[in-house]
Amino acid sequence: MKPASSPAVRTIRRKKWIGRNDLMGFAFVSPLVAGILAFAVYPMVSALYLSFQQTSGASLAGKWVGLSNYNYVFNDPIFWKSLYNTFYMGVLSVVFGIFVSFVLASMINSLKGTRSKNLFKGIYFLPNVVSAVASTLLFSFLFFPTNQGLLNFVLGLFHIPPVGWFTDPKFSRISIVLMSMWGALGYNTIIFIAGLQSVPRDLYEAAEVDGANGLRKWRHITIPYMRPIFVFMIVLGTIGSMKRFTDVWLIGGTAGNPGGTLLTSVLYIYRNAFLAGQMGLATAASYLLFLVILIMTVLMLKLNRKKDSFD
Amino acid sequence: MLMALLVAGSIVMIVPLVWMLSTSFDWSARLEIGFPPRFWPEEPSLKNYQAAFTNVPMLKYIFNSLVVGAGVIVVSVISALLSGYALSKIRFRGSNLVLVMALSTIMIPFEMTMIPQFLLFSKLHLTDSYVAFYLPALNYAFGTFLAKAFFDQLPSSLREAGVIDGAHEFTVFGKIYFPLCTPVVATLVILLFLGVWNDLLWPLLVLKSASKFTIQLGLAMFTYNSGINRFPSIIMAATMVSLVPVILVYLFLQRYIIESIALTGIKQ
Repeated sequence: MKPASSPAVRTIRRKKWIGRNDLMGFAFVSPLVAGILAFAVYPMVSALYLSFQQTSGASLAGKWVGLSNYNYVFNDPIFWKSLYNTFYMGVLSVVFGIFVSFVLASMINSLKGTRSKNLFKGIYFLPNVVSAVASTLLFSFLFFPTNQGLLNFVLGLFHIPPVGWFTDPKFSRISIVLMSMWGALGYNTIIFIAGLQSVPRDLYEAAEVDGANGLRKWRHITIPYMRPIFVFMIVLGTIGSMKRFTDVWLIGGTAGNPGGTLLTSVLYIYRNAFLAGQMGLATAASYLLFLVILIMTVLMLKLNRKKDSFD
Repeated sequence: MLMALLVAGSIVMIVPLVWMLSTSFDWSARLEIGFPPRFWPEEPSLKNYQAAFTNVPMLKYIFNSLVVGAGVIVVSVISALLSGYALSKIRFRGSNLVLVMALSTIMIPFEMTMIPQFLLFSKLHLTDSYVAFYLPALNYAFGTFLAKAFFDQLPSSLREAGVIDGAHEFTVFGKIYFPLCTPVVATLVILLFLGVWNDLLWPLLVLKSASKFTIQLGLAMFTYNSGINRFPSIIMAATMVSLVPVILVYLFLQRYIIESIALTGIKQ
């Protein structure tokens, strides 16, 4: 900026600047702000309003019924079943997914050559670009309930009788977890590798001086140092798994077959809103789901802060 | 030992795709999956692809997805760049409020707002139209943060010099800063393309006529209606076609994609 000669001139110029700035700033953020207001704030408010209404069909003209939608959802065993199924698959995929991808990331990160590192990153990440629809179609044949399915064929080589992966209620949820792990593994691994590379080298060097071996360094330096990334991944994974819809809808339809084991919360919301036309009921359920996600996220972040000792 | 484990894992990751590729060329698997499983088609032919293209208007769906993707990308990138620039370089009154608003709404899951959004578009008679994709694309707070972080690294002196010389803010943005944005635009375009191409739920809610289906919706409806376990090799051929664009993008831009995932940590 050109130096202003006197303080008076400077203040005048600055005042003018602020006015111009404000106007320009508003103009530049207006697309985003319009988007947020119309497609985030308005829907949240409208959903809250709708959740106190009884509606039929897609028309918004409903009548005020107070808390009765929430009451209904709370006493609907199907809602609880859907929440249970969602949690069941969510916990398994977060726990297994993070464990396996962290081990994988540690293995890839310990490779010497950059080229082999990049090669494995590329291979493990590939399924991540495959859409949920495509991987569900692929796995419906891969997990075919007879020996024709590739997985059952391989098991047959070890004399294990064919498993009805997507048709047996005992296995259906595990199969979904396995399938989504195939898709998500590479994504988690990439983030873990980025985290592993941020661990300061001098920590390892100090540990080596004290005579620590590879596994102990991993246990006592790497894992504690990576804790924020673990928390981030757990939060992200939990939120993601609470939103499960596409794969279970394609496999089990809106009934969540087999035996209702694949009925998830979003499927519950979807079928109440778009099959039964109960928009009010569905938004009440979606608010409850949102609260569950919010509470879990806050709890996990709190837990992380409390134990924050490694810095 | 380490290498052996990694290679074994890689095989597990790749085998499903290879199996799908080979089955998609195997005419003998059109009614039932072949037994024993094979990785080379027993009856190699392109007939599955022919059948897929005649039963499912794949080209139409792909074209539709490209149209939707292009629109969403243009709207989202413009919204993200403009707001990111304003929040980083024009420190205007209320910019903190906008930041807080963007931060607090970014965590709202789409599933939470999909019903009111659907009702909003049906009230406006905009369902079954791609406007229902383009308008919500304005709300891309994640892209705003990415763009803001990018602009934060660029020097502010460029703007100050331009403004003092009397240049309009849009000129400064368009002539000085925008040409420097290639890396962040590339990241946004890749993430948005993969997101739009692979999305199913919103198209399922708003698109009614089959001629407007996106590729995922078309593929899903075809198998949903004909039974998910029927016509293995034809379904696999159709699925392979739906994968071609993303696999191509992945092959050419693999390094960018992996870098932007590692950088951002959040996939849209």
